[in-house]
Amino acid sequence: MREQMRSELVKLRSTRTNLGLLLGMVGLVLLIVIITGAAVTPAELAKDEHQRALFGLGLAGGFIASLIGVMSITSEFRHGTIRPTFVFTPRRGRVVSAKVLSSFILGFAFGVITEAVAFGVGLSILAIRAVDVVVPTHELLLVALGSIACAALMAALGVGVGAIARNQVLAVIGVVVWFMVVENIVIGIWPQVGKFFPLAAGDAMTGINSDQLLPASQGALVLVGYVLISFFAALAVTQRIDVK
Amino acid sequence: MSSPGITATMAPLVRVAGDGEAVIEVDHLTKRFGSVTAADDLTFTLKRGTITGFLGPNGAGKTTTLRMLLGLTRPTRGTASLFGRQYVDIPNPATRVGAVLEATDFHPGRSGHDHLLMLARAAGLPMQRVDEVLAKVSLTGAARRRVGGYSMGMRQRLGLAAALLGDPELLILDEPANGLDPEGVHWLREFLHEFASEGRTVLVSSHVLAEVAQTVHDIVIINRGRLVTVSPLADLLARSVSGTHVIAPEAGRLHEILCQHAIESRLVDSDELIASGVTTADVGEIAGSSGVFLHELSTQSSSLEDIFLELTAKEV
Repeated sequence: MREQMRSELVKLRSTRTNLGLLLGMVGLVLLIVIITGAAVTPAELAKDEHQRALFGLGLAGGFIASLIGVMSITSEFRHGTIRPTFVFTPRRGRVVSAKVLSSFILGFAFGVITEAVAFGVGLSILAIRAVDVVVPTHELLLVALGSIACAALMAALGVGVGAIARNQVLAVIGVVVWFMVVENIVIGIWPQVGKFFPLAAGDAMTGINSDQLLPASQGALVLVGYVLISFFAALAVTQRIDVK
Repeated sequence: MSSPGITATMAPLVRVAGDGEAVIEVDHLTKRFGSVTAADDLTFTLKRGTITGFLGPNGAGKTTTLRMLLGLTRPTRGTASLFGRQYVDIPNPATRVGAVLEATDFHPGRSGHDHLLMLARAAGLPMQRVDEVLAKVSLTGAARRRVGGYSMGMRQRLGLAAALLGDPELLILDEPANGLDPEGVHWLREFLHEFASEGRTVLVSSHVLAEVAQTVHDIVIINRGRLVTVSPLADLLARSVSGTHVIAPEAGRLHEILCQHAIESRLVDSDELIASGVTTADVGEIAGSSGVFLHELSTQSSSLEDIFLELTAKEV
């Protein structure tokens, strides 16, 4: 398992895919922070939930983090490297486990970097617009930790989704449609159901007080549940398939 | 495991003395994909220290069989074992078995060096092995470049480098000569001879018999998933005959004259014979000096390729 982890870390750093995802994550979150910070009135910006949204990674960050995991496994099927990977490590469960763990770590790292940027820019915007930070300092730490944990868990979830889908194009389209469209629509019209969806649960980890989201701790539990379910499903599927 | 240094310059039919231990045992191996039977009740054994050609037309089931050997595809029935156990049960298999399945199994954006490094890490091999195998396949200079810019021959060699990482005692190669230029094919042949001369074992698939005829000791031929023949290459070669084909009204008289000249001749019909061990010129001159009219004089051969085609001819 240790060998497999080291192998996965080489894979993650040896293509441009993850550099692209990091730039995408930072860029998208930055864009949303700037738009939110610039467009919302000072009175609204002074509210607790808007400040949490400003400092958190939000849906966009969690969504991109999921692509870390999706790409980790689907690119092996797409380019055929899954064959040498399984020839070197025929215990496929080890490969899936190492991918979940390494994606979790990379999602965590991306979360830290993106959060640092979001906080720096968010605090600057509040200072420029002369709005006081109303979220208590220790709660700001929870916003950051919740966001980072959300990114890490979403990356781990992505491996499960990718292992079940295998086809890279289908997996990416599926993730985009589900996280960016389906979840938003359901949350909008039926929040009692929508708040139990994975990304909504992850978003709740920033502690935003909203009728549309679960409390942070419950959100974390729900997302961890999704990660575990997808992990076991991925194990079952990957053990069974013929690699042609 | 006595292996007198056999090199590529020696006759290809020299058989490396194996110690008789079975390295690969395929037992009633069967794989069905829906209604298609890709491998149908295959049974054969490979001994240590031999190079075996795994032959059959495209679609015969060679690739499916090799993937079952390597645990990538699950048999519908039967077993494939390497070193007495299933592939998945071999501890750190890369140190015993090396495989090249597709020349395209690379991420185009990853360098050759990193491709090997990720595999070396998975097998817990030291980083220096990466440099060693890169040098062995002459890719050191291109190691830091992305595989996307590699030629087909370079990809084949990189695949081989990956297979050699763990210094395995068995190599399984699926159509390794595809995309290689003549120089590359020559290099591969020498490499395989050297590999087998060290008492190691090779299973190499091909759909062209001529491609492996100079390399292999044994032949396993399959067609439409079924085993056609398992034999030493020498036995197969013995079946190839060549001769001078003659059509003449007085074939019987020519036959007697040829026999007087101690030339082996076989009367096929009243006006047709086949002479062996002589050229068309010899037969023509003898016939001319004896006043025998010839209606046809040609060289007839049943080459290895003919035998292969005959063996793998579609069953009616």
